[in-house]
Amino acid sequence: MHIFATFDHNMYIELAISDLEIRGLAREQILAVPLEKEAREMAVLDTIHRADGVSIIDGGAVLGTIFMLLGTIWGFLWYWGPIVGGLIGLALGVAIGIGLDWVITKRQNRPSSLGRKAEIVLVVRCAESEAGLVKKTLQDHCAIGVGLFKQGYGG
Amino acid sequence: MVIFMRLADISSTTLTRRPKAYSYTYTVSLMHLRNPWVTAWWSAALPGFGHIFLGSYIKGFLLVIWEIIINTQSHLNLAIYYTFTGQFQLATQTLDQRWLLLYIAAYIYAIWDSYRSAIEMNKCAILGEREGTKFLPARMGAWEINIMSKRIPLLAAVWSAFMPGLGHLYTHRLPTGFFFFIWCVVIIYQSRLLEGAHLTCAGHFAAAAQTVDVQWLLYMPSMYLFSMFSAYNHTVEYNKLFDAEQANYLKRRYQDSRFELPV
Repeated sequence: MHIFATFDHNMYIELAISDLEIRGLAREQILAVPLEKEAREMAVLDTIHRADGVSIIDGGAVLGTIFMLLGTIWGFLWYWGPIVGGLIGLALGVAIGIGLDWVITKRQNRPSSLGRKAEIVLVVRCAESEAGLVKKTLQDHCAIGVGLFKQGYGG
Repeated sequence: MVIFMRLADISSTTLTRRPKAYSYTYTVSLMHLRNPWVTAWWSAALPGFGHIFLGSYIKGFLLVIWEIIINTQSHLNLAIYYTFTGQFQLATQTLDQRWLLLYIAAYIYAIWDSYRSAIEMNKCAILGEREGTKFLPARMGAWEINIMSKRIPLLAAVWSAFMPGLGHLYTHRLPTGFFFFIWCVVIIYQSRLLEGAHLTCAGHFAAAAQTVDVQWLLYMPSMYLFSMFSAYNHTVEYNKLFDAEQANYLKRRYQDSRFELPV
């Protein structure tokens, strides 16, 4: 009997495996296959954060700082003063920065897959009588999905 | 320092020639790919921030302290304010020549060095990634406990928005967290920002403009946004590090050749 489950990377999977081992399953009955994330180009210069997936915040932080500084300075001349000026500059800069980054990233980006992605596939080999216990243990530890496979069917 | 070094030596990471990450009880040092231009930008916004972004803390902290001392003494921020508002005469008068020229070389150096270091560290990050991510995800000492776990990047940014430094405490980068924390208290107090905020909320805009101290207030934008940005960025990188370390562990331990696959 084989039980398949998928997990995210978090501490629950370590707890789940540990629970199974406490309940008598041997290490060689458990197979964990972490899925490779989409292969990303590793470049030393420049476009690194594009590939890194965090580029969206760079522009917002950079323009946010500049606009907040200018908003604070010119706020002294405006009716509403430097505090409001700074806040308006901050909001404007962050919005423009994120907007620009979003447009640029979207133009360069591959279509991303939909929905939640499993990160680890866990396979447990056990006796039929243990299947219920194993399945419950995995489900109790936030498995994304659990499937049972019994040899002989469909063959 | 000696005690910290010895703790580090015990860990298995010493066996890795180009480690990707190193854990301590009070922080995790890690190599990850960074955009050198963004690093240089932060050094330009406030010298030292680029190095803090890289995890080069002694350099970064000293450069920030240097920047704030020289800038405050030479009235540079005030001169920037006068210049941007077209009061060029006042800008010229306010700059203190006893201090001003001290600014230049170290300012350029901070930008250049952080750009250069980012490129060098990126090379190490690639090598480290290829050596496999092996480090201790939980460290304990008498004074502090550091457990790697998945954290929410946006939450780190939000905490830093409420009070710069809190986002870093959330991701357990204690030296950076307290550094921002302390500097922000100093800057907020010196700039009289909160009195200005009270007056602004009460609708006394002109009074707010007169109350706040321009020299100190102009440190706020870069301080505020950088603490949010770097807290967010580190949370993302820590989460990736968590995934990589766990994947490495699971592969080592739970891919036994005796495992019988259904055929």
